[in-house]
Amino acid sequence: MNLLFEPVGLAHYLVVGAILFVTGVVCMATKRNAVGILMGIELVLNGANMNFIAFATPGLRADEGLSLGLDGHMVALFVIVLAAAEAAVGLAIVLSFYYNHLTVDVDEAEELKG
Amino acid sequence: MDLTTALPVLLATAWLLPLGSFALIVLFGPWMGRRGVGAGYLATGAIVVSFVLSLIALLGWLSHHPIADAGHHAAETVEHGHEAAASHAAPAEALKPVAGDWYALGRFGSLAITIGYYIDSLTLVMFTMVTLVASCIHFYSFGYMHEELGIVTDPLVRKANGRLLKRKGRFHRFYQYLSLFCFSMLGLVISGNVAMVFIFWELVGICSYLLIGFYIERKSASNAANKAFIVNRVGDFGMLIGLMVLWSTLGTFSFGGIFEQVRPADAGHELIVPDGMVHAAAADEIEQITLTAATPEEANQAIETATPGWRNAGYGQWLLIIAGLGIFCGCVGKSAQFPLHVWLPDAMEGPTPVSALIHAATMVAAGVYLVGRFYPVFTPEVLLVIAYVGCITLFMAATIAITATDIKRVLAYSTVSQLGYMMLSLGVGGWLAGLFHLITHAFFKSLLFLGSGSVIHACHTNEMPEMGGLRKKMPWTAYTMLTGCLAISGAGIPLLWGLSGFHSKDSILAQLFSFRIQNSVHGNILFWAAAGGAAITACYMFRLWYLTFAGKPRNEHVAQHAHESPAAMVAPLVILAVMAAIAGWKVPFTNVGVDTLIGQSRPVGTELGVGANTAVAVMPAERLSHEKPIHNTVSWIAFFTALAGFLVATVFYGVRRLDPDDVRKTFGPVYTFLCRKWYFDELYQLIFIRPVMVISRAVAAIDKHGLDWLADNSARFVKWISRLDEWIDRLLVDGLVNQIARQTHRLGLALRAVQTGNIRQYVMAIAFCTVTLFVVITLYWSYIMAAGS
Amino acid sequence: MEAINWHSCFFLLFAILSCGFAVAVAVSDNIVRMAVYLIASLAAVSGLFFLAGADFVGAMQLMIYVGGTLVLLAFGVMLTARGPLVKIATGGGQWVLGAMLGGGLLVILLQAAFSVEAWQRPEVTPEVAQGEDLATAAPLGMGMMGIRVDQLDETDTVKRGGMSGYLLPFEIVSVHLLVALIGAAYLARARRPAHLVQSGDGGKGDRRPEGGDR
Repeated sequence: MNLLFEPVGLAHYLVVGAILFVTGVVCMATKRNAVGILMGIELVLNGANMNFIAFATPGLRADEGLSLGLDGHMVALFVIVLAAAEAAVGLAIVLSFYYNHLTVDVDEAEELKG
Repeated sequence: MDLTTALPVLLATAWLLPLGSFALIVLFGPWMGRRGVGAGYLATGAIVVSFVLSLIALLGWLSHHPIADAGHHAAETVEHGHEAAASHAAPAEALKPVAGDWYALGRFGSLAITIGYYIDSLTLVMFTMVTLVASCIHFYSFGYMHEELGIVTDPLVRKANGRLLKRKGRFHRFYQYLSLFCFSMLGLVISGNVAMVFIFWELVGICSYLLIGFYIERKSASNAANKAFIVNRVGDFGMLIGLMVLWSTLGTFSFGGIFEQVRPADAGHELIVPDGMVHAAAADEIEQITLTAATPEEANQAIETATPGWRNAGYGQWLLIIAGLGIFCGCVGKSAQFPLHVWLPDAMEGPTPVSALIHAATMVAAGVYLVGRFYPVFTPEVLLVIAYVGCITLFMAATIAITATDIKRVLAYSTVSQLGYMMLSLGVGGWLAGLFHLITHAFFKSLLFLGSGSVIHACHTNEMPEMGGLRKKMPWTAYTMLTGCLAISGAGIPLLWGLSGFHSKDSILAQLFSFRIQNSVHGNILFWAAAGGAAITACYMFRLWYLTFAGKPRNEHVAQHAHESPAAMVAPLVILAVMAAIAGWKVPFTNVGVDTLIGQSRPVGTELGVGANTAVAVMPAERLSHEKPIHNTVSWIAFFTALAGFLVATVFYGVRRLDPDDVRKTFGPVYTFLCRKWYFDELYQLIFIRPVMVISRAVAAIDKHGLDWLADNSARFVKWISRLDEWIDRLLVDGLVNQIARQTHRLGLALRAVQTGNIRQYVMAIAFCTVTLFVVITLYWSYIMAAGS
Repeated sequence: MEAINWHSCFFLLFAILSCGFAVAVAVSDNIVRMAVYLIASLAAVSGLFFLAGADFVGAMQLMIYVGGTLVLLAFGVMLTARGPLVKIATGGGQWVLGAMLGGGLLVILLQAAFSVEAWQRPEVTPEVAQGEDLATAAPLGMGMMGIRVDQLDETDTVKRGGMSGYLLPFEIVSVHLLVALIGAAYLARARRPAHLVQSGDGGKGDRRPEGGDR
């Protein structure tokens, strides 16, 4: 297998990020459990983070001078923090919804139906 | 103080006091004393003070213008002829009326509308009479209107639920109207010009309207009020025409100004057609002169010289006649003369004191007063019309009074009849006799009305068949009324002495007899009608007295409850009874009496009679009727006619030797004719009201089918246009807007399905859109890049 | 035989772990298992971060995500996971739809990832790049305080002008975090509407027998 011997490039990291992102999106689209949707969001954010880190690392690509450097790390850190805040607020909303409806099934939340 | 300044002040005070009382009661009436009883005190106080002031003014006049004693009078009557006329004119000049203006309301060219006065002895006597009768009636009303102080249950009005009407008492309102009436009546008497007369003429009319309709809840009362008012309008219409003729031709409203032009001093106070009327009638000739003349002065000169010729040719004569007839027309309405007499009997729906004051003593006499005041203006033709109208009235009313059973209606027709006497007297030249009868009649007729009010108050019914035998129950009322009956019948000892009616009626009949001597045809008709009327008067008056007071009670229930009226009602009866007895007398050992006093005011120029030089009729000088042959004859005739009437009444109703029912059966048609009041109401219904109704219905039909059709169709056209407009509006404008809205709505409804509220579908939609976007961008990337570069 | 590239080996390991667990999260119906899979996945991602030379971010990933956010999620799971709610199955149609969408998205992303030739291979001398100068904590800390130590030798004045540190974003993020946490605490308070309270003690509409005052 090639990957065992050859060094990985930026594209490989991007593939991992893409997979995480897509699983996150699928998770959000299919889960009926509100907490599951939150988890999907975490996955999506991690996929994005993966890309930031990959682009920030200078040694992963042939055209070395174009890497983001510390800026990418910084954005990744902000995303992590943002995700934490988002998780807290999202979870609070879910709990509130749960208290009101005694369920976490988002299909039950149809009050805003047109 | 000088008489010319004192009299206007005194009389103006007497005149305005009731107005002040009226104003105060209007403002504060309901709060005066307990339930407004203070209003009565105020009004009574005002009118009593007015009476005192009038009396003072009368005495003041007497002290300045003493009346020659009987001897002088007799001497004057002996030497008649032109010398006497000349000597007579001299004192007449001295007795010039006190005339003037208080206040000018406005001036229109030569015409001045003023509040003025014209005070002579007639004014003063009228003032004293009106205030005295009004004072008595004010006192009397305290007793009669006592019920009005509390809650009144009207026995004649049933409400829709079948209960008797209960209402608040209107004591203060009654006195308020009385005060207004006194003010108006006194203003009418004191008026110095015709415009003012007309104003107060209408004011007394409205007071009469208000007081007839005092029991406004009774349909009959409000109808009677309307009838009185409307019938009076007919008369006032004629009066307005007369006033317009006078004003447009003479240019003045004041009595003095009119009389000066009608009977100028340089023509010996003979009645001539005034220049104004001649010029108005000769308008064509004047136009010719004005067109041909060189200068205005010349034209005026020519007109001046031509005027006597025109006058002799009869120009303007008809204007004078129209003026006189117009004025008399108003008097016909107000004094309830034929053919406008129909309102007065109905006016008895008002409270009895009102009937006594307004519809017997004062207001209805105002017509006679005005005829007397305007006497100088009347031509012989007009006087003859007045005489005939009076004669018809007196005879007709007297016959109706025989059959009437309502006590007040008997008196009402009696009033109409007596007013006819006065008119007749004035018409045949008996100026003094007519006005003298006016004064005496005021006293005895108000006495009779108040007596009937006392009876009604005791019996609670107006129907004489229900009464009878009340003499013992209410002696004061019975005997004061007997005095009244005697007075109106003219009871007395012939040639010597009698009650007031004796003197006044005798002088009227004497004047008629004197007239008969000069005009055989007219004279016979008028004299015998009047004499017959006198007999009928005595008959119905004693019928009334017998039915009410004599015999046995015909209705036990009524008789049991009957009682003598309170002192407040009896006292005025006594006062008026005394006045009814003595009003015709002279003050002992002098020649001062009501007749001689009024005689001082005899219009200048009428002393020698009217119409001596015309072919129509000759109204002889009143002086002639006092001569022994005429006077003695008439006295006996009057005595026997009255006695005959009295005996007939006594036989039928007093001793009941004959049954009136037999007579009634025998003369069925006549009885019905009289009972129906000569079918006057039916006649008027037929010839006036019915045609008016037909015409108004026709007009209404024209209105409905002509004008309404036009209006309807134009409205329909407008409606059609607006419908078209609406259609355009709705279809095009609204349609556009609505269609946009509808499509938006439909789109919203369609898109609504998309808004599922399902969070996962949203996620999928986002993802799907992202993918699509990516695909599109990827597919067209090269083109975009190419375009960018 | 070539020497085994351990960097690549570990990359492969962590990539498989993270992607595998992520897929497991997506396909699992059980919320508790999903939470566990997610922890594993995120931990593997932090390993990838380490491999990429982002040691500080990786550490933060472990600490904040795995140690903080996921504990929060675990609490949420535990609070809401009652009986039937643990497993809420999704219909087959939804799955097909989600898979098609995800597949399409993945294709596009992969196509993008491999679209640039330079991204596929690292530099010629990989030894230099790997394992060298990996300490990013200190420059990041300095950057957050406003000093960019990694780009002191930048000569381009235009670029230097844009090199201001991350002090302001850092402050904004910290305040944002504070607000979000307070808001979350407020939102998560247990306040049940009256219509859901079965036995009525202390319900809004209830009258207390003691009367109005306390």
